[in-house]
Amino acid sequence: MKARVGQTLASTVDATTVIVVRWPDADLDVTCGGAPMVDPKGPEAGTSGSADPGQQAGTLLGKRYAAPDLGVELLCTKPGAGTLAVAGEALPIKSATPLPASD
Amino acid sequence: MPGPMTGVRVLEVAQYTFVPAAGAVLADWGAEVVKIEHAERGDAQRGIVKMLGNDAYSAGSSFVPMMEGPNRGKRSVGLALDNPAARPVLEELIRRSDVFLTNYLPSARAKLGIDADDIRAINPDIVYVRGSGFGARGPEADKGGYDSTAFWARGGSADGVTLPGADRLSRMPSGAYGDSMGGMTIAGGIAAALYRRATTGETSIVDVSLLGVGAWATQSNVNLALMAGGPIPAKVRPKHGSVSNPLSGSYRTSDDRWIELTMLQPGKYWPEFCALAGRPELVTNERFDTTAKIMANAAEASELVAEIIAGETFAHWCEVLSRGAGQWAAVQDAWEVGQDPSLRANGLIVPVTDAEGNGRELVTNPVQFDEAPPSLTRAPQFAEHTDDVLRELGLTDDELIALKIAGAAT
Repeated sequence: MKARVGQTLASTVDATTVIVVRWPDADLDVTCGGAPMVDPKGPEAGTSGSADPGQQAGTLLGKRYAAPDLGVELLCTKPGAGTLAVAGEALPIKSATPLPASD
Repeated sequence: MPGPMTGVRVLEVAQYTFVPAAGAVLADWGAEVVKIEHAERGDAQRGIVKMLGNDAYSAGSSFVPMMEGPNRGKRSVGLALDNPAARPVLEELIRRSDVFLTNYLPSARAKLGIDADDIRAINPDIVYVRGSGFGARGPEADKGGYDSTAFWARGGSADGVTLPGADRLSRMPSGAYGDSMGGMTIAGGIAAALYRRATTGETSIVDVSLLGVGAWATQSNVNLALMAGGPIPAKVRPKHGSVSNPLSGSYRTSDDRWIELTMLQPGKYWPEFCALAGRPELVTNERFDTTAKIMANAAEASELVAEIIAGETFAHWCEVLSRGAGQWAAVQDAWEVGQDPSLRANGLIVPVTDAEGNGRELVTNPVQFDEAPPSLTRAPQFAEHTDDVLRELGLTDDELIALKIAGAAT
């Protein structure tokens, strides 16, 4: 999928929805619970996928999930049971990115 | 009994240790502290990977002592203060707070609209607290500082602990050494300001600088120099004992540890020390049989004490000296301090549970109320409580998400 910033993506296996905050100029697979996410206003809206029991780490409302190396960041707008993944890699909650410092 | 600051709300816009440590002390004392962190980078302290050469982080654990010390007991909110969309949230937090605590430089405060006038316009009763490197006035008011610069170097401590002729300057004995004392100082100032506000209705601006804390710490020497009208001469203590007291100084044991003796009245304690050391003949030795002679012959007596202490182990001397009335101490490392029986008997090392559920321990602030140690909660993860705090302010989930999409909150 080539998602655009601001676009909503919906899970096909649970209630999860996210907003795309960052996305590179690239075509990447985005999944929730192992099943492709879809545009809830697009032709695939309402389709139902099959959940992978191994990808059920869940999401939290209002948290950002990011793969900085890929340039992807998603903001959870409805939580669900599935794990968010892009290009086959689970997305962790975005952590602080302070400037490296040393005493 | 709840802590004395129960019900006090503190809003902290601060980084590193000095000013956040004040928030931690207030949290230990029962205050509710909300810490605002940069929406993307978090507290810059989270970026420190090494402290005095030691790793700050441990793989696989969220427990970072350098964050826990100055931030335990707080809630963290990720807010982009430079984003206008975040302003209403900040203003609501200001409106409901008793204390605003910051160490942002004046130029940054002005840019972000969090100077005293800005904050007072929203909440006229708030106690406005500024921690700085070099003070709120003067040529360095907008200059940043750390404890190693403002407190340690400028405040006279580095010079005071470096031996004449040393090939290197002595550094602070522990990370955040001046910051930790400075934070405690700020907390005391806030307590006094809250007392005035409660009794007279007048609020305060409270200023504490690392330089000021440094000069307060070295005031014994600074005040002497001020009276002398110039630098006080550097005094090199004898290797053993002091110029006029063999029982005031540090002595090395047979296993290369140190014992510190500070028995300021040598005449009173010489007989006791000699008896404990198994050398009673030294009490009646004609060189040491009066107080005046012990003081006059301190150099000789000190050599004898050094030989005596060097003849036995650290454990031996700890046991033997503990039987006397004279003042002495084992020179302890950081691990031993954490196990110190008197610290533990007084509840000054306390348990805390980390984010993974593991039991940990932290040093608590040194002020104890009502003979009970504070009960500590771990420091927050970055922006851990944004959602909770914003919902408390009455934001709906849709408003919360909108702030996050706008990059105003994390």
